[in-house]
Amino acid sequence: MELVDRYLHAVKFWLPRKQKDDIIAELSEDLRSQIEEKESEIGHKLTDAEVEPILKRCGNPMAVAGRYVPQQWLIGPTLFPIYRVIIQSLFLYFLLPWMLVWMGIAIFSPDFRADHPGAALFASLKPWWLACTYSLFFNTLAFALLDRSPMRSHVVNDWNPRTLPAVRDPNRISRGATIFELTVVVSTLAVWVQLDPFHRAFHFFGLTLTLSHQWPYFIWAFTALSGAGIAISCLNLSQPRWTRLSASLRLGVDVYSLGVVYLLCRANLLQSLTGSDLSSAEAATVVGTVNSWLAGFAIWVIAVGVAVVVFDVRRILRTAPVQ
Amino acid sequence: MSPSIDIDGRFENLRQELRRGSLPLAVLAALRTEHYGYTLRKTLADHGMAIDEGTLYPLLRRLETQGLLVSQWREEDKRNKRFYRLSPDGKLILKQLLIEWKSIHASLEDIF
Repeated sequence: MELVDRYLHAVKFWLPRKQKDDIIAELSEDLRSQIEEKESEIGHKLTDAEVEPILKRCGNPMAVAGRYVPQQWLIGPTLFPIYRVIIQSLFLYFLLPWMLVWMGIAIFSPDFRADHPGAALFASLKPWWLACTYSLFFNTLAFALLDRSPMRSHVVNDWNPRTLPAVRDPNRISRGATIFELTVVVSTLAVWVQLDPFHRAFHFFGLTLTLSHQWPYFIWAFTALSGAGIAISCLNLSQPRWTRLSASLRLGVDVYSLGVVYLLCRANLLQSLTGSDLSSAEAATVVGTVNSWLAGFAIWVIAVGVAVVVFDVRRILRTAPVQ
Repeated sequence: MSPSIDIDGRFENLRQELRRGSLPLAVLAALRTEHYGYTLRKTLADHGMAIDEGTLYPLLRRLETQGLLVSQWREEDKRNKRFYRLSPDGKLILKQLLIEWKSIHASLEDIF
């Protein structure tokens, strides 16, 4: 009977304190009745090997004990869907982008790696871990408390079909947004076309700022981009629904514009700076700082670019294929 | 997973769900006569409603907490056993449940 005693002891461990003895006495009686019946059937005392299947059939001690305890949860099934959406959103729109940016900086920025050698590179992720831990902890705590507060019944019962959000057609293009986009692009283009593409020197507050010889290429690139933006806006106005064609064109324009901005950041755009109050050494420092700052901005362009491309590709996938 | 195994698995889940829903009624009906746990299990098994001890005893406690059963520890065959029987409230509820059960049965027969 040692196996039975061990089994009952294991079950007892998980039981509520006040009911332990009572439950174990009853379960013990049942198991011993089963064993006695089996013994009278086969005519000898059961060996441990013969007792084992009886206990196995009875179930895992923790599971058996668990059935005596009322079902408990930290966040109940009513609030759990809201909790899940919030945690998913937190991860997708905050923690994941943060991690991607960190990875981008760690991979593409030699300066960052030099500032954080070896283990310090991973130690630089400490704020991210803290954000993960705190956001998960406080959200879980808030929902666990809400689930036990009278406010829960308000959340569940105080609702009205009329206040539910309208069904949104994800493929519909808002005319207002298109008109706004068109206005911005046309205004930008209007300013842009007045620039002389071959004019690279600009005068501000007694300073002369000279841009790199690549500047005209960027002028033409942005002009072409504005033209493409106007074409897509017009297409969207005439057909205010995303189709596979218009969504693919949008992806193409977005990739092109992100590529141009990325190259602009990495182009050492500021060639020189001169001014009566500025020594050549100071000017060189300012030029170096501005170009370095712009180059550092390139990683953010990549991060935003990845998010934009993912968004655009998802839009293409949800539109019906061209027949 | 082959389709037949999947179908078997789904059938088993639904079968268990169906039986689990009927267990309180079967237990209440069986306890019109006094039983202790082991004999109650044997009675139910003899009538085709086999139930393992891990399911029966928590159910008995729940029904007792709800006031539908009364229990008493007594010695029998030199061993202490807990005997259960229907309480007066349990008798009333069983009567109502049986009416409901017959109504469900008739409705299902009608649908089939």
